[in-house]
Amino acid sequence: MSTLEFALVAFVLATGLATAVLRDVLGSIIAFAAYSLGIAVVWVVLQAPDVGLTEAAVGAGVTTVLFLLTIAKTVRPSGERTLERLDLPALGVAVALVAVLATTLGALPPVGGAETPVATSEVTSYYLENAYHEAGVENVVTAVLAAYRGFDTLGEAVVVYAAGVGVLVVFQREVFA
Amino acid sequence: MIDAFAPRYLYLVTFLLLGIGTYMMIGNRNLVKKVIGMNLFQTGIFLFFIAAAYVEGASPAVLTREAPHVSPLPHVLILTAIVVGVSLTAVALGLIVRIYADYGTLDADVLWEVRHDD
Amino acid sequence: MSDDATSEPGSEPVAPEGSEVDEPAEESATEEPAEESPIAETASRPYVESPIIMATVRVVAPFVFTFGLFIMFHGADSSGGGFQGGVIVGTVVLMLGIAFGIGPTREWVDPSTIVVLVGLGTLGFVSVGLGTVALGGAFLDYPVFGTALGVPHPSKYGIELVELLIGVIVAGIITGLFFAIAAGTRGGESA
Repeated sequence: MSTLEFALVAFVLATGLATAVLRDVLGSIIAFAAYSLGIAVVWVVLQAPDVGLTEAAVGAGVTTVLFLLTIAKTVRPSGERTLERLDLPALGVAVALVAVLATTLGALPPVGGAETPVATSEVTSYYLENAYHEAGVENVVTAVLAAYRGFDTLGEAVVVYAAGVGVLVVFQREVFA
Repeated sequence: MIDAFAPRYLYLVTFLLLGIGTYMMIGNRNLVKKVIGMNLFQTGIFLFFIAAAYVEGASPAVLTREAPHVSPLPHVLILTAIVVGVSLTAVALGLIVRIYADYGTLDADVLWEVRHDD
Repeated sequence: MSDDATSEPGSEPVAPEGSEVDEPAEESATEEPAEESPIAETASRPYVESPIIMATVRVVAPFVFTFGLFIMFHGADSSGGGFQGGVIVGTVVLMLGIAFGIGPTREWVDPSTIVVLVGLGTLGFVSVGLGTVALGGAFLDYPVFGTALGVPHPSKYGIELVELLIGVIVAGIITGLFFAIAAGTRGGESA
């Protein structure tokens, strides 16, 4: 791992941890925004610029604004303490989860290897070889999104639409006002 | 040991993020922080997918770039998942605003007691 | 967008209940500070009129909007697409709402327009899919547009159209969710 990657991962983990332990909800939200920005850079480093673009706009922008609006509409509990009191049962569950998942670490393919199941998959090579002359676009992510998996994307669009409807139902309104 | 670990450290980061997310969802009593924890958990899953697609030295899945490309499929899945995730967050926050309007608290424990007194 | 001058330290001490804000300074600087300080205060004051934020947003908003449209339309040949562009376009309205007050922005955008836009976007996506079926192809089978209607590069333009519709849906929903959460539940006071 390069120094840049190491610094990025350290930043992401540090901000993620800060999000969890900061007592003030505003501080937690700001740490989460910084975390999102960090992870957006991680996506770019991992050669996923489309995902990075979305994460930067959504995670650091929209989600943060929505969280801030929520605490503006409700309360922002704060005390004299900077850090949250440690919840031991929850910590136990979290540590157990990480421990169980970590036992699978040896069985997972190494990140970045050319022989990983994802890289050698038939699906991957099919998309990369045929996207241009079948779908007519150079960006394979777009080709898969709108053409090969168009039905799936329609489903996602409807989920987004349904979220809008859901919020209106929760607020008992007919328009977004 | 370290030879086996070094190329897989991103997966360990994924697990740690899942752990932090789980801790926030269970351990923090404030509902807003529970939702933030859910978002953290989500990005942990995203990292798993994107790390699985990554190939050392390959370029993004745009055909104008030279030959070895990373797999586009996980990127597509995560792209849509991020947008669905923000919708999910918004609905959760809408519910939180509504809960606060009805009960006047965002503390999960207090909320539980209030619900049981009814 | 990330103009550090816009985070107004002068408005910080009036936080509700005299609570201390213990965010690490280096983290708040990496975020878009233009969006932080005014909203954080809304518990006590709904909207902080800051000439710095207003001027910054006035300069930045057209560029962000153009960038969002660029991302949306150039998704075919470079990184980008409907989801990314739609979110960025939605962010423009969020920026305006924070700079000039959510109420005036809501009146300017008109909430029923958003409902119409989102509805039309979803309906458009479904009808593109069903249209290809009606023309004798499979669901979302773009080349049918070329054989049945004589559209050049049917697949490319079909994908562009779908990306545009996705962008409309996403931008509309982001804007709508922002307004809805800002307004809160019916009967409650609105921000």
